[in-house]
Amino acid sequence: MRDSITVGSVGAGGDGVVVMGSLLQKLAAAQGYFSQMPRYYGAQIRGGGSAIKISLDAAHLSLTKDVLDILVCFSWEKYLEFKPELSLGADTIVIYEGDPVDGVSLPKSSFQIDFSRISQETGSARNKNIVALGLLNRLLSFPKAGIMRAVESDAELKLLKSNIAALEAGERAFKELSLPDLSLSPARDKSPKIVLQGNEIMARAAIRAGCRAYFGYPITPAAEIMQEIQGHLSAKKGVYIQAEDEIAAAAMTIGASLVGTKSLTGTSGPGLDLMTECIGLASSAEIPMVVIDVQRGGASTGIPSKSEQSDLNHAIYGGHGDAPRVVMAPYDLEGCYRLVIEGFNIAEGFQVPVLLLSDQWLGQTSTAVSDEFMKKNYQIIERKKPAGQASGDYLRYQMTDDFISPMSVAGDEGAIYQATGLTHKENGRPAFDFKTQQSLHEKRWEKLIPLQQRDELVKVFGNEASTKGIITWGSSALVVLDALKSLGLQDEVKVCVPELIYPLPEMVGRFIKATKRLLVVEMNYSGQLHSYLRSQLQLPRNTKLYARAGGRPFSREELAKPIAKMAR
Amino acid sequence: MMENADYRTGLKPVWCAGCGDYGLLTAFTKRAFPNLGIPNHKIFIVSGIGCSSRLPAYINTYGFNSIHGRAVVIAQGAKLAKPELTVVAMGGDGDFFSIGAGHLPHVVRRNVDITCVMVNNFVYGLTKGQISPTTPNMMYGEGPFLSSEFYPPITPMLDMVSYSVSTKASFIAQGIATDVSHLGWLIEEGIKHKGFSFISVLTPCVTFNPPGLFDKIKENAGYLKAGEPVPLPASLPEKPWIHDPGDIGLALKLAQVPLLKKPLLGIFFQGKST
Repeated sequence: MRDSITVGSVGAGGDGVVVMGSLLQKLAAAQGYFSQMPRYYGAQIRGGGSAIKISLDAAHLSLTKDVLDILVCFSWEKYLEFKPELSLGADTIVIYEGDPVDGVSLPKSSFQIDFSRISQETGSARNKNIVALGLLNRLLSFPKAGIMRAVESDAELKLLKSNIAALEAGERAFKELSLPDLSLSPARDKSPKIVLQGNEIMARAAIRAGCRAYFGYPITPAAEIMQEIQGHLSAKKGVYIQAEDEIAAAAMTIGASLVGTKSLTGTSGPGLDLMTECIGLASSAEIPMVVIDVQRGGASTGIPSKSEQSDLNHAIYGGHGDAPRVVMAPYDLEGCYRLVIEGFNIAEGFQVPVLLLSDQWLGQTSTAVSDEFMKKNYQIIERKKPAGQASGDYLRYQMTDDFISPMSVAGDEGAIYQATGLTHKENGRPAFDFKTQQSLHEKRWEKLIPLQQRDELVKVFGNEASTKGIITWGSSALVVLDALKSLGLQDEVKVCVPELIYPLPEMVGRFIKATKRLLVVEMNYSGQLHSYLRSQLQLPRNTKLYARAGGRPFSREELAKPIAKMAR
Repeated sequence: MMENADYRTGLKPVWCAGCGDYGLLTAFTKRAFPNLGIPNHKIFIVSGIGCSSRLPAYINTYGFNSIHGRAVVIAQGAKLAKPELTVVAMGGDGDFFSIGAGHLPHVVRRNVDITCVMVNNFVYGLTKGQISPTTPNMMYGEGPFLSSEFYPPITPMLDMVSYSVSTKASFIAQGIATDVSHLGWLIEEGIKHKGFSFISVLTPCVTFNPPGLFDKIKENAGYLKAGEPVPLPASLPEKPWIHDPGDIGLALKLAQVPLLKKPLLGIFFQGKST
């Protein structure tokens, strides 16, 4: 019995690899298993090869292993395209169809099986993936009763009912092979887990935060946010528009926010470029807005379907003039939910644009987790409104002690004002003098200073007394934490993951001050977080950077070397 | 309802003496808004960047002098989120037909109930006299690209009304800043129209227009009146074109008339209210 198993599968278009992975994940989730399934796909819209890798875990959420426990291969030609993601070890069990090609060496436990023929015998050649699923169910020792219950529990799984013949043919095929024991321990907590991607979670969190308007333009790998939020907004009688471009999406977000509606837009790098002028406008005219950037490989068009963490510079500094904003980055699914709510709270509370940096890995990895974090209570903060019935001399940009001015919305009686991207006086009227310019900058920058005290938006792991530390951000943090564990260094090396990056919480400074050896880990070529930290803090003399381009997720094995070197 | 008494703020406009924008300001504050009786706080005016875009600061309603080209998009976001507001998007020829031109077909397509007032002074005034997409004369150096010698049908001048008719906006009108009553009436009708309304306002730039340009426009202008013959030579006495704002076919024909030949003022087209 094992607590966790990593299964990979690869095939040509039409082999149904993604469907099989998704069904396996849902079957397991219904029985209480945690899992994570990153997506690997090429640039093709349909056809081409596709591969999945899924980690099933009985106890907690774990990353997929670097080396597979099981591979189900429908096409060795396509396997070669995804070889780095689907590494085989000596103990990997391989179940495959067709003859191996050059470049593939089969482990000892490899079994050829004619999925096509078996599928054909059940009445349709198209059920190869379901046959394989039946086989996997037995291999993992999923109890039959559990599977049947699961099938009833989920709309997608119900489809299996019409394919029971194929499922059972797979189970029979299992019996004919003599496979080593690969049973998965029963899930510790049998309560069903929810299966969601970061993109979907962020959309749901926005609704929870009170967002009632979404404006977006389709882009890989962020499109699922708009797909998911559309239904929620239509149920809530909110506003949903597919704009003509990202400039329009951001501008509409500002328009809706100005009349008092919490508004969201989502995009990826190239779209963020186009939104930049509106982010500057929102910063200047102090208009709440939330922008999600699901980062992908850059620069320019880059690799749209693969993850990278290279938009940090743009998020913090993008745009002309001194235009302060707030930048946050979740590193896991729970954070995707919590930080969107927090993002709206900060946007509304501080009247500022908030940028949330997700990435393709977080956004598009299907994850089965407990939904407790979605059931929790979250404080929802609304923007500061003028007290009582204001008279005619309402000051939209009134200088207050906390630099945050009461904001009326169009339609409110007695608090009319004209907003502008021009430098303006307290009443919103344009001004062209140094004194106003200076004081307006002070207002917009100083109001964000209290955010530096938000220690809870910095996650610190491991032994605080340790002087060896790692700083990392976004989805890279998951691999760093996992690599430490597999190296047995989790008590020796502490890890700091700032979720709030700009402004930088003081907590990060304290972490660094108490660190003698520091490693910064991030997935971009130039080391953007490292540069940013250097601009803000004095880093230890012994600071190393592990940064490389995206296009392939970090693996434990890869990070083991720089981590071990730092911890030496 | 004290605030209804005056739709002006106390701010003094930055415009040159004799600028047509004063006429537009009056059309809004002394005609359209008072006639419609909309409370000030129920109006939201979004503008872009340019001389005319300074207008929201002079009108005592909610307003936003935003960024170049984006007024019509910000206005859509506001209207969709709060439909009970009267939302006006306004800006110049540069705003709507150069930097923000990509947004226009989409607002027409969505038919969002906002009133778009496009102030056409044929020039970039705020930056001191560069050509705009509606400038009738070419600047030195642009000839080879747009030479009428090689491509005779091409004119350097983008016609707002023609564009609007071809994209089938649901309300299309043209007014002139020097006829404030008529312009005020057009804005009133545009606001009343349920759907996207597009009002082109011909206005002089007293500082940068070639001498005589606006005088010629004013002199040649003719009014379109529903049920009356169209003031065009092609509309013969024995077989007159009778203006019908419900006829998109006629609107297309009217929009083909070059602006400098015969500026037509009035409601070109008004689709059925949805």
